[in-house]
Amino acid sequence: MRTRAVLGSIFGSVAVLVIGWQAGAAAAAAHSASASAAVTTSGTTSGTTTPSTSTGSTSSPGPTSSSASKSSSSKTYTGASADTPFGTVQVRITVASGKLTDVTAVHLTDNGGRSVEISNYAAPILRTEVLAAQSANVSSVGGATYTSQGYLTSLQSALDQAGLK
Amino acid sequence: MIAESPMRTTSPRPTSPRTRAERFRRRLRAADLLLSASWTSAAAAVALYLAYGGAGLFNTVGDAVTSLGIIAGLIGTNLILLMLVLAARVPIIDRVFGHDRAMAAHRALGKPAFYLILAHAVLLILGYGITAGINPVAETISIFGLPDMPLAFLGFGLLIVVIVTSIVVVRRRFKYELWHVVHLLTYFAVIFALPHQFSVGGMLANGTFQRVYWIALYVIALGSIATFRFAEPIVKSLQHGIRVTRVEQVANGVASIHLSGRNLSALGSAGGQFFVWRFWSGKTWWHSHPISLSAQPTDRTARITVRALGNGSSSLSRLPKGTRVSFEGPYGLFTDAARTAPKLAIVAAGIGVTPVRALLEHSHLASGEATILLRASTEDETYLWDEMEALATQQGARFYTSVGRRPKGRDTWLSSRDVSRNVRLSSVFPDLARSDLYVCGPQAWTDLVVGEARATGMPEHQIHTERFDW
Repeated sequence: MRTRAVLGSIFGSVAVLVIGWQAGAAAAAAHSASASAAVTTSGTTSGTTTPSTSTGSTSSPGPTSSSASKSSSSKTYTGASADTPFGTVQVRITVASGKLTDVTAVHLTDNGGRSVEISNYAAPILRTEVLAAQSANVSSVGGATYTSQGYLTSLQSALDQAGLK
Repeated sequence: MIAESPMRTTSPRPTSPRTRAERFRRRLRAADLLLSASWTSAAAAVALYLAYGGAGLFNTVGDAVTSLGIIAGLIGTNLILLMLVLAARVPIIDRVFGHDRAMAAHRALGKPAFYLILAHAVLLILGYGITAGINPVAETISIFGLPDMPLAFLGFGLLIVVIVTSIVVVRRRFKYELWHVVHLLTYFAVIFALPHQFSVGGMLANGTFQRVYWIALYVIALGSIATFRFAEPIVKSLQHGIRVTRVEQVANGVASIHLSGRNLSALGSAGGQFFVWRFWSGKTWWHSHPISLSAQPTDRTARITVRALGNGSSSLSRLPKGTRVSFEGPYGLFTDAARTAPKLAIVAAGIGVTPVRALLEHSHLASGEATILLRASTEDETYLWDEMEALATQQGARFYTSVGRRPKGRDTWLSSRDVSRNVRLSSVFPDLARSDLYVCGPQAWTDLVVGEARATGMPEHQIHTERFDW
């Protein structure tokens, strides 16, 4: 290899590595901001749907009685937490008159800033599909396989508790 | 012996040294640029991961192993795509590096690419296992259950088969054609590995620029294969409609195949370049033959000369008249365009005379510019020497021959008589330092000539060789 080619290779490689590193640092900063936002969002969602379940511990799966709530006959069930390489995933479902009416993420993959971003991107898609299918029998979201699998596993355990299919 | 009068396609005057130097500078510039771009593309694969926040994913042991595994996969895949481009016979790569140097680079990248992909699989199984707290076997089973992963494992298996059959020792046991068919499995390996990168790998998720860049790499690599290995040869073969007109026995085991077709001067073949031919008769269609034209083509006719080398070459001498011929090419830098020095030194042995004959015919040389040395073991192997002598006279070139077997037990490229007379490369070509040396013959013999040339301190860019055993 000629000197000019060696120098050109070194220059080009270092340049793209620095650019990539800087882009990564900027992305990480953005992620940590959106990560805290994500927690807040999921908290408020679950709060509004099931006002009476604030005492329920996220780690204890099981039907949460909503008999105290006089406004509706809906019940919530928290699925078992599912482990993935990118963190645990746990969801809570709301069932009204034998129908699945809502899915809330209690915990999503958060191992690394990028995982949070993927979770935030995948969770709404999965929620919409699950509500449409009324079951955990939906396909994974591209690029978020682990999140999807954890999400659907936890969902299935919640559905089992609720006595839905 | 020349059946048709060849058509001159060269400029009427010899190439001036200034033009030659400018051409050489341009080629070097393109070569440096392409090399730099190749290495930068490997770095870019790592940069993709850094941009994804990868630098922050080394905090725990599990994360660090996982990240290394992902980086290994990215670089390895990048190298495999680069290998595809090198094997695709892209015109600019052929013009700048020549076919055989591109293929040498292709082979050199094979092992590193494979080890990186191997590391990718092993490190990710370990890394995910550590993070999830389970052993590698259980993790492998768990990974296998993910969508697209069985396909990725299948692709990896194919890659192992391809690499094992390409190891020199194993490759010798296979016929070239069988090895080549196995080698084509690489395309499937590359395609099978694609889905898991986009579905399991979060880095290449929908809507990321990484995904766009990565898809672009695949489009370039597979697209250049589809274009230059398949589409262009098919279209050109149909356009020119080449058929065998007659087969002429030149010597024992050597035949000139005369071809006819449409608009052959538009092939743009420079003397010394080769084509990969396929003869569509019942016995020969599955072999392809890299053979250079042994004479400049006219608009309607062309000629190649072959010796019974491989399994398929011997049946070529019995090709029936009218056999359809398809081709890929022209390829190679064994041409006047590669020259960088004022003088020309040509050494050829055996059937290696064919490209230098075309080179000589295609060049426009000043009187005394060229010196030619032809080598044969016996008088029977002096193929086309009469034509070479006529061309040498016409071009004002000095013409030497060396006939006879080499001395027993000595590594030399000359006959025993010439060795005892103390003939050397520098005595045949006194102007060697100011010459372009073109060498064509059997590989071991070529290596000896090139070795002696290097020993005289001849710069690398003045030495031109062509290999025909791909």
